Amino acid sequence: MNVEITELTRRFGRNLAVAGVDLQAGPGVFGLLGPNGAGKTTLLRMMATVIPPTAGRLRLLGRDPGAYGPRREIRRRLGYLPQNLGYYPGFTVVEFVEYFALLKETPAARVPAAVATAIERVDLGGKARAKLRTLSGGMLRRVGIAQAIVNEPELLLLDEPTAGLDPEQRVQFRALLRDLGQRATVVVSTHLVEDVGAACSEVALMDQGKIVFQGTPAELTARGTEHGTGDAPLERGYTAVLAAARS
Amino acid sequence: MTAATPVAPGPLPVAPRAGVAVPGLARLLRLELRHNAMLWLLPVAGALFWFNGYREIMALPPMWNLRAMTLQNRLLLDLTIPVTAAAAWMGSREGRRNVADLVAGTARPRWARQLATWAATTAWAEVACLACIAAVYVMTARQASWGGPLWWPAVVSAAGIPALTAIGFAAGAWFPGRFVTPLVTIVAFFGLGFGTQAASGDHSYWQISPLTAGAFDIGAAPGVATFYHYLPDLSIAQVMFTTGITFGILGVLGVSSALNGPRLRRLAAVIAAAGLAAAGTAVALAGTGRLDPHGMIVIPALHDAASNQPVRYTPACSRTAIPVCVHPAFAVFLPAMTAAVGPELTEIAGLPGAPARISQVAEVYQQEPQNGIVSLAGVPGGSTFILPDQVPGEPGATSAQFAGDLEDTLGLQLIRDVILGENASAVAARPSQAQLAVIAASVRPGSVWLGPSAADANAPELSGRPLLALSSPAARAAHRFAALPPDAKHAWLAQHLAALRAGRIPPAQLP
Repeated sequence: MNVEITELTRRFGRNLAVAGVDLQAGPGVFGLLGPNGAGKTTLLRMMATVIPPTAGRLRLLGRDPGAYGPRREIRRRLGYLPQNLGYYPGFTVVEFVEYFALLKETPAARVPAAVATAIERVDLGGKARAKLRTLSGGMLRRVGIAQAIVNEPELLLLDEPTAGLDPEQRVQFRALLRDLGQRATVVVSTHLVEDVGAACSEVALMDQGKIVFQGTPAELTARGTEHGTGDAPLERGYTAVLAAARS
Repeated sequence: MTAATPVAPGPLPVAPRAGVAVPGLARLLRLELRHNAMLWLLPVAGALFWFNGYREIMALPPMWNLRAMTLQNRLLLDLTIPVTAAAAWMGSREGRRNVADLVAGTARPRWARQLATWAATTAWAEVACLACIAAVYVMTARQASWGGPLWWPAVVSAAGIPALTAIGFAAGAWFPGRFVTPLVTIVAFFGLGFGTQAASGDHSYWQISPLTAGAFDIGAAPGVATFYHYLPDLSIAQVMFTTGITFGILGVLGVSSALNGPRLRRLAAVIAAAGLAAAGTAVALAGTGRLDPHGMIVIPALHDAASNQPVRYTPACSRTAIPVCVHPAFAVFLPAMTAAVGPELTEIAGLPGAPARISQVAEVYQQEPQNGIVSLAGVPGGSTFILPDQVPGEPGATSAQFAGDLEDTLGLQLIRDVILGENASAVAARPSQAQLAVIAASVRPGSVWLGPSAADANAPELSGRPLLALSSPAARAAHRFAALPPDAKHAWLAQHLAALRAGRIPPAQLP
């Protein structure tokens, strides 16, 4: 298992953002669903080693990120796209992705090729020399994905990766996710259930800091056959599980 | 976006190059160099220095000591605003641009990342600093009549740059708001400026300020570091201080982030401790300074006695009746000097007691309490002299004032020594009215005090200047004698000097 989480908790003052989550994930695309404020982003930030957990056990890629050495090793093999992508407007696409390749300690000799590959994979080859300040929101999101995958991560954490992408790009992105999931564990946090249905082999649903469902998309769909509301089968499963959790 | 296993495409700007393996940190530094705020502020830095420092420095006489020491006094202050601002802006970049989460999940330690950004900022700031130094030194090399560049003032300025960027960068990194940049810039500017004003005496700890070039009340004076070597004692302490501050702040920056890991934080702690210890030691050393007789600060623990030796030089001499010889650094002033005292030289040349030539000697300084410094001058009279404190080109000094000062000092000294003979330097000497008349007639008006009443004639000397009663017979004789050409004066003195010295000639007998 690349991700092993046991009783993971995170508090921000009095606010309990993640409340005793248990989760395991191996290679493949893992969808993390949930309404706003469910704790998805906080869970992803802990998995990205950006913030430490308040309590509980977290093992990533077989290592304990609580210790500096293993944490650094994890980070070399980690890709992370935060929900709010900050960027340096004066950098070009190539420079921004190269910057993160270097921060991830990609061997220097491999950096140019890795950068070129990552940029091609998000279909930004034509904009490689463009300054980030000139790009649209969707293009910036793709730049964010490129920096996340530039080190060919074994664990890829994507927080709302399809926000701002047009339908065609979302279709392409799902294909990319499926491809990445063949070799790595890809955790995708989203509230767009169709992304999960199209790309994920497994899905967890969070609400109020807890995981209220974990299974395949088909199993989530099955939960909504009787009580759920929504336009699509997966949406009905999503709402049914949430309603059951809150009742 | 493509799911297919990709091959590296060709035409991207960063294409792999065979045989070139640039280390990761070097690549990072290259990126930071390309996208650094200091790069954009280089023209601002250059303009500020040109407006505030360069014009004033280049207006000074073309003497290496004056210009180099004034450069140290100005350059760092002129660059403080753009350099500190750029560093603070770069230091706060991650916080301002909301990339903290993005970079926090990367493997390279935060300190290494910060050091790369700081190093790039510092590199561009050093480019600005060195360009300013080069501009002054290249122009001075073309104009100076003697000597070579004084490197220590330049080294102190260059060593101050990393300290400024470290202060700005750390402030930006710790408080990444938009207001930290103007705030830290203002604090650094006034802090640096205040540091130079707070110095008091040769034992002052404040002279550790990298803007302080030499003793507080002397500073960049023409005679300092001309006859004797420039003493690097204070400069060494200043470099030690700024380097220590740089390492101290960068070390604390490394210690302050838990993201750096225990080994790196320990290393940062050692660097911080060493840096702060060096800075503290430098301040303590500055406090042991004492004024060297030649106008520079000696720090005993750093002093090399070999540098006490006078500089060897071949004097530049005038082709006047009595040659006037000056240190070659002052050769540019020789025409003005001979023009100022030429009549006196013609008048006394060859007379008994007149020197065969007169030579410039170094001024001798002595520290008084607080910032007071007295010049002991040490002029034994006769064949040696010192130049006035201010030479043309220095702020507030004009050629006319320089000539007047020379007549008041050197001209008067020459005439007095010849007219009064061996008694010239005796305190008890009471020159006769005829002697006073000849002296007054030989120097410019003002060199001799003209008293309002005959009663003043009872006090023939005041403040080292002869006193001549207005409307007295001696004053009328002085007017007559002054109207003679120098050759006629010389001829009369050649015949009557012995009698004049002996006091046997009354004023009425003066031609």
